Amino acid sequence: MQVFIAQVINGLSLGSIYVLLVTGFNLLLLVAMIIHFSYPQVVVFSMYIAWLAMKFTGGNVVVGILAAVASSILLNLLSAPLFQKVMKKRDEVDINSTMVLSMGIGMIITDVLSHSFNKGFPISFAGTLEGNGTLFGSGLISVSGGQAVSLAVGIIVVSALFLLLYKSRAGRAFRAIAEDPNGARLVGIPIVSTGFASYALTGVLGGVIAVLLAMLLGSASPGLGEQVAHKVLAVSIIAGLGNLVGGLVVGLALGILEAVCQGYISGSWSNAIAFVIMLVVILVKPKGLFGIKL
Amino acid sequence: MAPSDVKPAVPGESLLAVENLSMSYGHINALKGVSIEVHPGEIVVLIGANGAGKTSLLETILGIYAPAAGTVRFRGNAIGGISADRNVRGGLCLVPEGRGVFAGMSVLDNLLLGAHHNMRNVKKNLQRVYGWFPILEQRGAQIARTLSGGERQMLAIARALMSNPSLIMVDEPSIGLAPIVVNGIFEILSMLNREGYAILLSEQNAYKALHCAHRGYVLETGAVTLQGSAKELLADPAVREAYLGA
Repeated sequence: MQVFIAQVINGLSLGSIYVLLVTGFNLLLLVAMIIHFSYPQVVVFSMYIAWLAMKFTGGNVVVGILAAVASSILLNLLSAPLFQKVMKKRDEVDINSTMVLSMGIGMIITDVLSHSFNKGFPISFAGTLEGNGTLFGSGLISVSGGQAVSLAVGIIVVSALFLLLYKSRAGRAFRAIAEDPNGARLVGIPIVSTGFASYALTGVLGGVIAVLLAMLLGSASPGLGEQVAHKVLAVSIIAGLGNLVGGLVVGLALGILEAVCQGYISGSWSNAIAFVIMLVVILVKPKGLFGIKL
Repeated sequence: MAPSDVKPAVPGESLLAVENLSMSYGHINALKGVSIEVHPGEIVVLIGANGAGKTSLLETILGIYAPAAGTVRFRGNAIGGISADRNVRGGLCLVPEGRGVFAGMSVLDNLLLGAHHNMRNVKKNLQRVYGWFPILEQRGAQIARTLSGGERQMLAIARALMSNPSLIMVDEPSIGLAPIVVNGIFEILSMLNREGYAILLSEQNAYKALHCAHRGYVLETGAVTLQGSAKELLADPAVREAYLGA
């Protein structure tokens, strides 16, 4: 039972990270109207920047967090004009050009990480962001301080994000553009500036996710972004592209599923099992569990 | 509402003055030198068949399309080529054709979207709108998709009011609605007009629209072919034949 509880806790913190990633991806899809397949690569790049910042400040966590957030905002805002430039259709998602640009950004990030940081070796946040000490352990399973904090922060950030989307003026404008860009323009919602606001918001979000991932995983490697990107794309398709509530449910579910698999099945089968289940879901429900909202 | 709540028009000038306005989608000329005027306190109707340019005219005035030539003056300021969100902030608004509400969002969210640039007066405006349309208060949490056609049109009009407009443009409010519901919508527009709002209306349903309007323009293939008081237009043989089925 202890194993199960520990893995559910781990799963919830992993799941809340998936939720944040999927929501960021969906916001860019719905409001900026781009397919930013490589959004997770931006996040992993920001993990590296945090690592670098902490290396030079002797493990200053605050500097690390600020560096991650700053790097993610900067990357997102710098790529915004590029995306706007290549888009031919600004009233609907322009899949071809934005996806190619996004994949390019992702590949460049992965290459930069594998050549220019730590000689391409995985980086480790052990003892700094991960948090020292074990809260409780049972055999091979343990919950560290960092994992507990990342769960708490993850839940708070997910709640704050959904409050912002569903209760604030900006969130309302985001959802209006998501539902009907032309209708939003007719009622006087500024499309371009609201689109840029979504780049900024997902930038902030990306920095927070980077910190949470560092706390949960304790390490990062150049290939991490791509691995996470596949899952985020899968989760958003399983949930239904652009479906914010669907992303919330499926993201949490995937996190728990993976963690429980890791707890009970030896070897790293969790990815394979998750993808088999997702394959079955997409065969039964091609439009995702909660329906496409695009 | 107190008349003082309406943004006052500059005295001595028309509220909206469109002069020689032309606009094209690529090679297609949608508007060819249209001139119309709306004075404070008036209901003005644009009559025309499908494709006559009614929606193009309203959307160009709002700032969705940039005019190729001509001027648009609203409350004394030239607004041609200014973006729609800035014009909405300045007191212009459009109730889109086809009961354009956000069907997936709640009734309250739809109303609040109308107040996007006017959040400071949101409580007061909500109370005023609920006073006129109590059903929207009862259905506040309901998703707009679940409303009837007439209620959706009502919501679209109410949403426009949330921006404190001084001119309400309404694009074909009667389209796809049952005749009795259409009567209700025109009653709402007349009521708003008595409350002090100026209204620019586009309609194919010329008979009912002319009965609630003060003046009208007939639009054909992007140009004004006839204009006059509602009475004159109702009596005009060409109008009677083409738009009133007489």
